[in-house]
Amino acid sequence: MKQNKFTRFLKTVPLKLWLLLAAIVAFSFISNDFGLVDIQKTAIVLAAGIDRNAEKGYTLTAQIAVPKGVDRTTGGTSSVEFVAEGETIADCVSDIYCKTGWVPKFVFCNLIVIGDETAKTENIFDALDFFLRNEYMSDNCFIATCQGTAKELLNSESAIDDTSSMAITKLFSNANVKSGKAMKMSLREFAMGYHSVTESGYMPYIVQHKQETNENSSGNNTTQGGGEQATEYKIYCAERTALFSKGKQVALLGPDETFAFSLIKSNVFTGSLLTEEDGKPVSLTVLNDKGDVSLNTKGAPKVTVKVELTVRLFNRAIPSEIEDVAKNEISDKLKENAKETVLKTVEKVFETSRKSGCDLFKLNQSLYRSSAKKYEEWKDTLLSVVPVTYEINVKTAK
Amino acid sequence: MNKISTRQLCFFLAAIAPVGKIVLMPTNLIYFSKNNLLFPAAMNFLLQAAVIFLVLLIAKNDKSFYQLIADKLGNVTAKIILTFFALFFFFASLMPLLEQKIFVQSSFYDTLPSILSFSSFFVFSAYLCSKPLSSFGRAWDILAPLSIAAFFGIIFFSVGSADFGALAPALQSGAGQIFRGFAYNMGWFLDSAILLSFLGKIDYKKGLPWKGLLSYLAGAAAVLLFLAIFYGIFQGIAINQEFAFTKTSKYFSGIDTLGRIDFLFIYSLALVMAFYAIMPMQAGIDFLRQAYGSREKRFLPAILSIAVNAVLLVLTLLFDFRYISLNNLINGTLFWIFPIFCLLLPALALLFMIRRRRETK
Repeated sequence: MKQNKFTRFLKTVPLKLWLLLAAIVAFSFISNDFGLVDIQKTAIVLAAGIDRNAEKGYTLTAQIAVPKGVDRTTGGTSSVEFVAEGETIADCVSDIYCKTGWVPKFVFCNLIVIGDETAKTENIFDALDFFLRNEYMSDNCFIATCQGTAKELLNSESAIDDTSSMAITKLFSNANVKSGKAMKMSLREFAMGYHSVTESGYMPYIVQHKQETNENSSGNNTTQGGGEQATEYKIYCAERTALFSKGKQVALLGPDETFAFSLIKSNVFTGSLLTEEDGKPVSLTVLNDKGDVSLNTKGAPKVTVKVELTVRLFNRAIPSEIEDVAKNEISDKLKENAKETVLKTVEKVFETSRKSGCDLFKLNQSLYRSSAKKYEEWKDTLLSVVPVTYEINVKTAK
Repeated sequence: MNKISTRQLCFFLAAIAPVGKIVLMPTNLIYFSKNNLLFPAAMNFLLQAAVIFLVLLIAKNDKSFYQLIADKLGNVTAKIILTFFALFFFFASLMPLLEQKIFVQSSFYDTLPSILSFSSFFVFSAYLCSKPLSSFGRAWDILAPLSIAAFFGIIFFSVGSADFGALAPALQSGAGQIFRGFAYNMGWFLDSAILLSFLGKIDYKKGLPWKGLLSYLAGAAAVLLFLAIFYGIFQGIAINQEFAFTKTSKYFSGIDTLGRIDFLFIYSLALVMAFYAIMPMQAGIDFLRQAYGSREKRFLPAILSIAVNAVLLVLTLLFDFRYISLNNLINGTLFWIFPIFCLLLPALALLFMIRRRRETK
């Protein structure tokens, strides 16, 4: 009997051993060192700001998450901003390590900001290259440029969040992008544009404004005792869009053009289109947006920019009769005005793209994909000479 | 002795063998062939499929590769040929192992882990390589459904982010680039040679060659679909996206809400890959067992397995940060070794045997 049991046990040994070894391998593969992060030694970088530095090459501003309560007493994630200098971005990262003893960890870095001058003066891919090479960083992080320096932006105090980067990334929420008030861009998409035949791309342009507060209220504009200067809180907006060609910022779309660009990209849903009727402002809600830029390659290339909108009356700048409020009817004149408004801004976007040399609508890519031979023939002149037809259609929701 | 059933063999060809081709091969293909990566991959798959079909035709004899050669050319020749094949397999197994290692270290860890985290793999490998091939058949029964589910999970999460227009214009990179892509990626196509070690261990049923062929082509189609999606997502920067199958699914819109649930699929495929990475070693040890084994030498596979795994562990440590140089050497300079052992020799040998059999009839 005992002999039988032992034989049965021996027979099952290979299976048990196999399972045990498979478990060990699976464990060593996916343990991820148990995800242990020693926050005393690790700098969890939430955002990185890049500026060029005449003396040392680059200034990297790393917004580092710190345990709550260190520098603030209330609210979400606290952070400190550390400014490092170096000949390369990697050199700046080493500078952080050297001066703080913290190992910068970019796994949670969700925003890269590039200073205005930095973006305009030289190809920014010398700096972005560091992030593209970093295997431990997500290329899905947001990328933006800003008014002034990235250092100033990340060092500013947000009026709506404990960290400026968190407040900025809120601007790139799907809801805000659908409003047409901001465009968002990821590192991957921007790099794809740069490394394509268009060598072009765009990214949101962040502007910071001082938050106007009631001087007497105990709101955000606090005085930190002892006659110290009051902290200036900022709010941010990404209504502008910076255009890039060959890695350099070459133009800037204003708020209206950014909205028009959003319409062309079919991004807008329930966004507000401002037009006028009888000289008075009227807001229309965009319920449906179908935008497209097509390149006809039969014969000489021709471009058609199409925007088809379904709108509903949202608000007038004058008191309306209750019947008008109830029916929400849009007159033909208002529709025509809306069409005209969209046409003007769409034209402006295309012309800005044309003049700046930023192939915003990937015309060269379309041509290359349809005919490489034709692309070779047209690649240097396509953007500047291609004729454009605009087809703008505004429909009302029944 | 247990044999590999038709189902298990089809599982291997359709769901296990393709998995080894979605880690580093996509970037290597793009390096040479750019947006035409599907052409060299398809060429390799088709050539492999043809040889696999021949191997499965000859499987009807129920003779091992050693017996087949020994019957025609004698024992000494058979021993020499199988020894060369075994050496080839040990040589060819280094890249899949390093591929596994750097994939695990880069994808599953936030910082570079200690070398020990991968070393346990060799204990697992040494054990599996000492087991008969029929044990793998049972493993495939479990792994294949896992692999299929995980693969389609990744495809489902990725397909929406892909712009297939990026694959145009076709053939723009020229025949030379496509041929280089074909030649310098042959190192990932060992399936026909591995299948030679299955001869004599397959439970042959009518229609097996066709079923095997269709299974392999189904797996190939899945890999080609993945390659198209991969290039469609990354386009001009695809060349920089190593460990392809871990990269494509993270742009799925649901990930923002649900978190990286795609890692369930990635972990599943990593497990399947661990078994596939062992296959060349297992085939090499099996060939040595066929050539030099006997009833008295029943511990030979175990001894060989420990020795081979120990050597490969040392080599893995030695080439820890030399993957690119090794890749250039094995898949670049020495690429011609692969078609000799994976296409030419098996095809010639098997065609010769099929012809001789017809003449005898």
